[in-house]
Amino acid sequence: MTSPAISIRNLTKRYDLIPALSDISFEVPAGQIMGFLGPNGAGKTTTLRILTGIIAPSSGSVWIDGLDVTEHSLEVRRRIGYLPEHVALYSEMRVVEYLTYRARIKGIPRAEQSSRLKSSLEQCALTDVSRQLIGRLSKGFRQRVALADCLLAKPKILILDEPTIGLDPHQIRQTRELITTLGRTTTILLSTHILPEVEITCQRVTIIDKGTIVAVDTPEGLRQRRSGLQLVRTQWRGAPPSVIESALKQLPNVMRVTFQGQSDGICSFDIESQSGQDIRESIFHMAVKNQWTLRELSQQQASLEDIFVQLTTHE
Amino acid sequence: MQNLLALTTREVKAFWYSPMAYAVGALFLFMQGGVFTLLITVLNDPRIDPTWAKISQLFFGGTFFFWFSILIIPPLLTMRTFSEEKRTGTIETLLTAPVSDAQVVLAKFLGAWLAYLLLWVCTVVLFLILSTHTRFDWGPIITGYAGTGLLGSVLISFGILASSLTRNQVIAALLSFVAILLLFSLGLLDAFIHNPQATSLIRYLSLIEHTRDFSRGILDTRPLVFYVSLSAVCLFLTGRVIASPRWRS
Ligand SMILES: Nc1ncnc2c1ncn2[C@@H]1O[C@H](COP(=O)(O)OP(=O)(O)O)[C@@H](O)[C@H]1O
Ligand SMILES: [Mg+2]
Repeated sequence: MTSPAISIRNLTKRYDLIPALSDISFEVPAGQIMGFLGPNGAGKTTTLRILTGIIAPSSGSVWIDGLDVTEHSLEVRRRIGYLPEHVALYSEMRVVEYLTYRARIKGIPRAEQSSRLKSSLEQCALTDVSRQLIGRLSKGFRQRVALADCLLAKPKILILDEPTIGLDPHQIRQTRELITTLGRTTTILLSTHILPEVEITCQRVTIIDKGTIVAVDTPEGLRQRRSGLQLVRTQWRGAPPSVIESALKQLPNVMRVTFQGQSDGICSFDIESQSGQDIRESIFHMAVKNQWTLRELSQQQASLEDIFVQLTTHE
Repeated sequence: MQNLLALTTREVKAFWYSPMAYAVGALFLFMQGGVFTLLITVLNDPRIDPTWAKISQLFFGGTFFFWFSILIIPPLLTMRTFSEEKRTGTIETLLTAPVSDAQVVLAKFLGAWLAYLLLWVCTVVLFLILSTHTRFDWGPIITGYAGTGLLGSVLISFGILASSLTRNQVIAALLSFVAILLLFSLGLLDAFIHNPQATSLIRYLSLIEHTRDFSRGILDTRPLVFYVSLSAVCLFLTGRVIASPRWRS
């Protein structure tokens, strides 16, 4: 078997002694789209900046395509396309001019430059703005210029740091489609804090929280975790909150009842049930039996935060 | 090589697009034009002994304005090279491309140095105009230009190093201005120190002394070695500075 496209071993990074990454390890097999999911401040950008050789690790090692990043920095840079979280481009240059310059510094042979440029522009839907000054482009277009730059040299590995952040819904869909297409021929490490994004685009997901890896899973696995965690939101009228709360706690399969507040005689509760158990009907019957008014009864999608709570408390 | 060429071209273009470069150029040409007018007036004065001074010696290093431009033009040309890229974050985009630190630093240097040389080349016009009116020896003028260009390489390197140390252009300009001023002032110590060994060291480091030699038509290898090695040291340090996040854990 060939070595994994990306391999991170016992990586630790401290900023002024404050740990941002604590001993993380994971691999991205060649040819996969790996989601790198975590809330803000989890350490995603830090990991990707170490992978691309911008900053050094405090300890541990990272390998790209079998090469140690700190030892073979130049070789590694030839193999990756990196889209940073905050795209920074020369605003005084025009789009084609910038991409031509990037093609040249990336050492793309002269004969191939114009065809590579053309296909990058097309892939990122930039052909219409190719003559514009980068400084005049909107954030979405600048993001795509940076992405086009990543694709110029047809890298084996793409490292994308929150590629859809700050884009409008239409651009987000386009970008995700492009990533899916690119993923057929390229290894991609895609960092994001948006759960549906990895479910749509990725084959595997590594979840990071507070600088540690909390899970490596498939999107299906994640979905199961989500459906296993059921949350029902309710609003009541007709009895004091404490009475309703104790009645709810006596229902079968209820794990936790949280009081959400009260106003104008209406009180709200969030109810968590054991995995796989739908408790909505028994809540309804309880309301009928006690002749309380049930104003809302809705099943909530577990959010990323809920999954994190589950991952970090159950494991 | 394609890398270095592409990087340098971008540097030169960055000057081309920047209003600051035009302001600096205008200031420079205005000063040199002023110097030249002054020289013509002086040389036309019948009371002045024509053997007293050569035009090349007056033009290169003979006036306050020459040294003023030497002190301020390099900081102004180099201040944005690295600091602006650090401020906007483009330095990271640059350093994740497969280019070596040496290429990046060298391209910044060449870009700014070429701009500096271009400014001086513009002043050749003044001598061309003069040559239609009178005869003079081109030799010392050519060596004067060579000396000024070499001196520029040192000052530009100072400026590049200063720019790599901060993300603030103004601080970068001030840093290199102070560094150049200190180097320049070393030569002035000559007048106050009488220890022969110290004096010879000061002469070796004196920009004024070297410029005087060049403008007399003397091509000496000692200032050449001094200038080239000092530039190389500054550029090497710049490379270490920009690579530092990559090795400092
Ligand atoms: N240059 C830095 N200096 C100090 N602390 C930093 C620096 N960069 C990131 N951090 C800290 O490291 C942690 C992880 O940040 P980051 O990797 O940017 O997270 P993410 O990309 O997942 O949002 C955060 O707590 C952040 O404040
Ligand atoms: Mg981030």
